[in-house]
Amino acid sequence: MSLDISFIGVLIGSIMASSVPLILAASGELITERSGVLNLGVEGMMIIGAISGFALMVITDNLFIAIIGSMLSGVIISLIFGFLTQSLLTNHVATGLALTIFGIGLSAMLGKNFVGIPGKDFPILFSSLRESIPFFGPILFGHSIVLYFAFALPFLTNYFLKKTKLGLVVRAVGDSPVSASNQGINVILVRYCCILYGGGMCGLAGAYLSLIYTPQWIENMTAGRGWIALALVVFATWSPIKVLIGAIIFGGISILQLHMQAVGFRIPVQFLIALPYLMTIIVLVVISRDSRKIKLNTPTSLGRIFYKEK
Amino acid sequence: MATDLRISNISKIYPGCIANDNVSLQFKSGKIYALLGENGAGKSTLVKILSGIISPDNGEVFLNEKNLKLSSPLDAKKNKIGMVFQHFNLFETLSVFENLSIDATEDNKSLRVRINEILKKYNFSIDLDVPVLNLSAGQKQKVEIIRCLLRSPKVLIMDEPTSVLTEQETEELFISLKKFCDEGILIIYITHKLKEVLSLCDEVAVMRKGKVVSVSQTQNEKVETLASKMVGQKLAKIKKKINTSKNKDEIFKVKHLNFYSDDPFETNLVNLNFSLKKGECLGIAGISGNGQNELFQILSGEIITPDASIIFRNKEIAKLNPKQRREYLMAFSPEDRISQAAVPELKIYENVALNNFKSSNFFEKGLVNERKIKEHSKKILSDFSVNTDNVELKSQFLSGGNLQKLILGRELITAPELLICYNPTWGLDVGAINYIHETLIKINDEEKSTILISTDTEELLKLSDRIAVIYKGKLSKIMPSVEVTPEKLGILMGGGSID
Repeated sequence: MSLDISFIGVLIGSIMASSVPLILAASGELITERSGVLNLGVEGMMIIGAISGFALMVITDNLFIAIIGSMLSGVIISLIFGFLTQSLLTNHVATGLALTIFGIGLSAMLGKNFVGIPGKDFPILFSSLRESIPFFGPILFGHSIVLYFAFALPFLTNYFLKKTKLGLVVRAVGDSPVSASNQGINVILVRYCCILYGGGMCGLAGAYLSLIYTPQWIENMTAGRGWIALALVVFATWSPIKVLIGAIIFGGISILQLHMQAVGFRIPVQFLIALPYLMTIIVLVVISRDSRKIKLNTPTSLGRIFYKEK
Repeated sequence: MATDLRISNISKIYPGCIANDNVSLQFKSGKIYALLGENGAGKSTLVKILSGIISPDNGEVFLNEKNLKLSSPLDAKKNKIGMVFQHFNLFETLSVFENLSIDATEDNKSLRVRINEILKKYNFSIDLDVPVLNLSAGQKQKVEIIRCLLRSPKVLIMDEPTSVLTEQETEELFISLKKFCDEGILIIYITHKLKEVLSLCDEVAVMRKGKVVSVSQTQNEKVETLASKMVGQKLAKIKKKINTSKNKDEIFKVKHLNFYSDDPFETNLVNLNFSLKKGECLGIAGISGNGQNELFQILSGEIITPDASIIFRNKEIAKLNPKQRREYLMAFSPEDRISQAAVPELKIYENVALNNFKSSNFFEKGLVNERKIKEHSKKILSDFSVNTDNVELKSQFLSGGNLQKLILGRELITAPELLICYNPTWGLDVGAINYIHETLIKINDEEKSTILISTDTEELLKLSDRIAVIYKGKLSKIMPSVEVTPEKLGILMGGGSID
């Protein structure tokens, strides 16, 4: 096994790439949940984003339109969820599950004609620097713009929630929608916006898979990443930075265990496959064990239906 | 500038209930107005209309002869109507400053300056950067008041503000309210506490069943006259014969009760020791959040403290769970009627069955014997004068007073030797309070004992034979209630010491 320094650089680069969809989807869901809405449709919104991104790329031959279109498709499908839960007051959990099932089915149907079509190379940034600097090159450079955006997103989310007025409003709505409403905040509108934003980010996460990470369409290609993203938000106790840490650990161990399998470690394969799930949970539980902070970060009204008095 | 608020022919009808029936009232600045009424009399509906949370079916509100369109809370804010809610409208996980800044139009720096000016002017001391859930009820209320003051209100509505406050906090609140009044703010004070009306307000409007039944100057009123207007009939005065005899059997004894919690929102209990005689009522006073919750849970067996010794009828029960303790004839009435004592979604008879799992004939071969439970429930409803005889009714539709009667009935029907209750009359109206006090006194008369954990000092002085104060998880010396005055209790509850 050759463990030279440049190999480690490449390895880290690939770990980063594999964690991007998790970061995007989890950051989006985090905002949704911070406003008190539990949307279990992450997986469904991701897969819809993946197929619409890929289909638009094939049809228009334009990656920019494909990326924007995938986000829009995430927004549109989350609008269904928003309308059901916020305007018709349906149960968040049931509606979210239905959204996932719907998304998986719809994407398989839409995707029939796109199976086997090769994807397009996605432009990468700073590709010359990637080759010229050993170790740091493959880590810092030669990625798609979506990856840079994804790694900035948790910090932006953190800033948004902690420092901006709108972030404060989102947290207030998640804490107590009744109080917020009595203060004149339009709770339904805020929640709609957060749901749509979450949908957009999940759409982008899906498009990253079908356009950049493995540029092709395969049925059910999100393969449970949406559920991992959901779990990350909870285990990271609604802290954007911890979501980033969790996503990197999960992506990292997923990649490492592949290498371990390839090298032929004498560990049962099943255990290696389970390892990323196990380690992510352990690490996140350990770093988020401050019960006081959990209480302050948890959106108190999460998943509860809000009725406005009339 | 003088403010003149006029409510004209307001009506609000909910399915099955007329919340406000043609209510007309007039208020002028420079005075404090009381809006008095029992729970369900329509006070809260009226103030919700004034603050734009709900809109009336009929009627108008005029401020300085301008007809106000109050269709959202924003409209009330724009028209300088401020409201302090009974159940605080704060964001618990946000800091005080964040709570105040959420609807501010200015930048954070100048807002902070203005908040500090208000803090100084009215002598409030609140740390702006701690989360609201760390504050006491009194401090939370001050945050709400500051939120109103920041918008320089013309009208300030206080909805049952003292239900969660201590004597001292209440006095402080009254001083502030009088100051606001002198500054020209029109104050509407909603309450069902008669003494507060008399000591604070200039004019009082009494509401009953959605209607205004009287408007008068408070100086012409007395507690009795107001009470009968409010309830619609004369109330019997109840008085307990204080139990001072020393030579009765000890029935309950707690030794070396310690409790330590990792949860920063729980209070640790430090070395509590007390005992109780047959037919005695031990009152435990204190500001809420000083360990009463933990104490109640330990006494009821929800929290097991294996190191402590709790002796009941000569048996060690410290390791028993609530069900086992009930079998030894203890009974419990927790503070939170809705979430701890009863399951609101269940029907009345189902709730009755809940704590009587062992009871002889409710269950046969693992099946529910509905007929027997219903008979039993009917008896409770009539014995404890709950104002329904429909055992199929979901418990959530009972008013607070009726639910509390049902819970007490359920607990007492097993003829327990010891009843432990925590704030049994919290948020109830005079009629229901009277009934529950009578019931508790009757228990003692029948030589059964009670432990009354309460934040209401008046209630404690009325019902207890001996009183102790809990402060930050420590119990004061236990005093015979004849030697205790409200002032003494207040000092102890605030952490001071007497003698």
